[in-house]
Amino acid sequence: MKSNSLAAGFGVLGIVFLIVAALYALGVLQILTSTKTGPHYQHAILFGVLAVASFVAANFARVKAV
Amino acid sequence: MNLWQALFIGLLQGTTELFPVSSLGHAVLIPSLLHWSFKQSDPSFLPFLVLLHLGTATALLVLYREQWVAIIRGFFAAAIRGQIRTDDERLAMLLLVGTIPAAILGVFLETRIKSLFASPFEAAVFLVANGVLMLAFEVLRRRAERRAALDSAPRAEQEEGFGQAERISFRAAALVGACQALAFLPGISRSGVTIGGGLLAGLRHEEAARFSFLLATPVILGAGLVEVPQLFSSGVPIGEYLAGTVLAGIAAYASARFLLRYFRSGRLDPYGWYCIAAGLVSLALLRLNL
Repeated sequence: MKSNSLAAGFGVLGIVFLIVAALYALGVLQILTSTKTGPHYQHAILFGVLAVASFVAANFARVKAV
Repeated sequence: MNLWQALFIGLLQGTTELFPVSSLGHAVLIPSLLHWSFKQSDPSFLPFLVLLHLGTATALLVLYREQWVAIIRGFFAAAIRGQIRTDDERLAMLLLVGTIPAAILGVFLETRIKSLFASPFEAAVFLVANGVLMLAFEVLRRRAERRAALDSAPRAEQEEGFGQAERISFRAAALVGACQALAFLPGISRSGVTIGGGLLAGLRHEEAARFSFLLATPVILGAGLVEVPQLFSSGVPIGEYLAGTVLAGIAAYASARFLLRYFRSGRLDPYGWYCIAAGLVSLALLRLNL
């Protein structure tokens, strides 16, 4: 399924995931964590991976020039 | 923990991590049955588990070193191009899709589930459940073989009727990856459920095992690397821990080589029966407090 709007959606999602990853790494975000203080690197890495996956999906979804 | 205990746990973890018999279940059950005084939940035990997992992941990386190079190259090529052209590129994307559900469930649920079901009694019950699950996977597989009119063919021919890891669908890869979350229950085997999931997705046994091992590597390695700073906390007997880790790595490498050869014609049934027997014996021993 190729569509530039879908690609843009994945791109935005990727940026959101990157921001969430940074917030977990800096210890700002404490949602769904086992402790309520300090940085959460596992969560940060997870959202980093999700960001990469979203950017990859965006590249797959965009309509390519022939 | 003394050196011999560290070596024993290393050997146990390295062997059972890849066999479809649950490493966590055995790690919870055996020290308890041997009346060893240390607790798995003790904070000083975590660095040891981290090292053992790094040992297992290293063994898998060594075993599949050439394939990982091709997968990583394939990932970047397909990601930049936005198109899959080769089997390595498809496998790289399948592994990414399979790893994501496992990573999400692992980060958000693993600690909670493990702390809920960490008793030896529950581990024994889940070990029996794991055995039933392995047998169920094979029952479904035999049904698929009958449907494909392969039930009377020799084993090698039966296996050739099924596919390679690179050919499974992305939906199946995500489902197989999500199955790994079941392994947070001590007694349920990560490799068992992923190999079983691979069989249901139409893979050969050997290919299901290969996909399971490839899928496990980033999760085990990632979880281990994140916890590395724990190793530098005070009071960690690093010498004993490293000895256990080396043994875990060697055991994992030998286990993976054995299993890949075994699954060319072998099935999950023996491991299913083993899990049922080991779980029932453990339940009896725990009940009798022997």
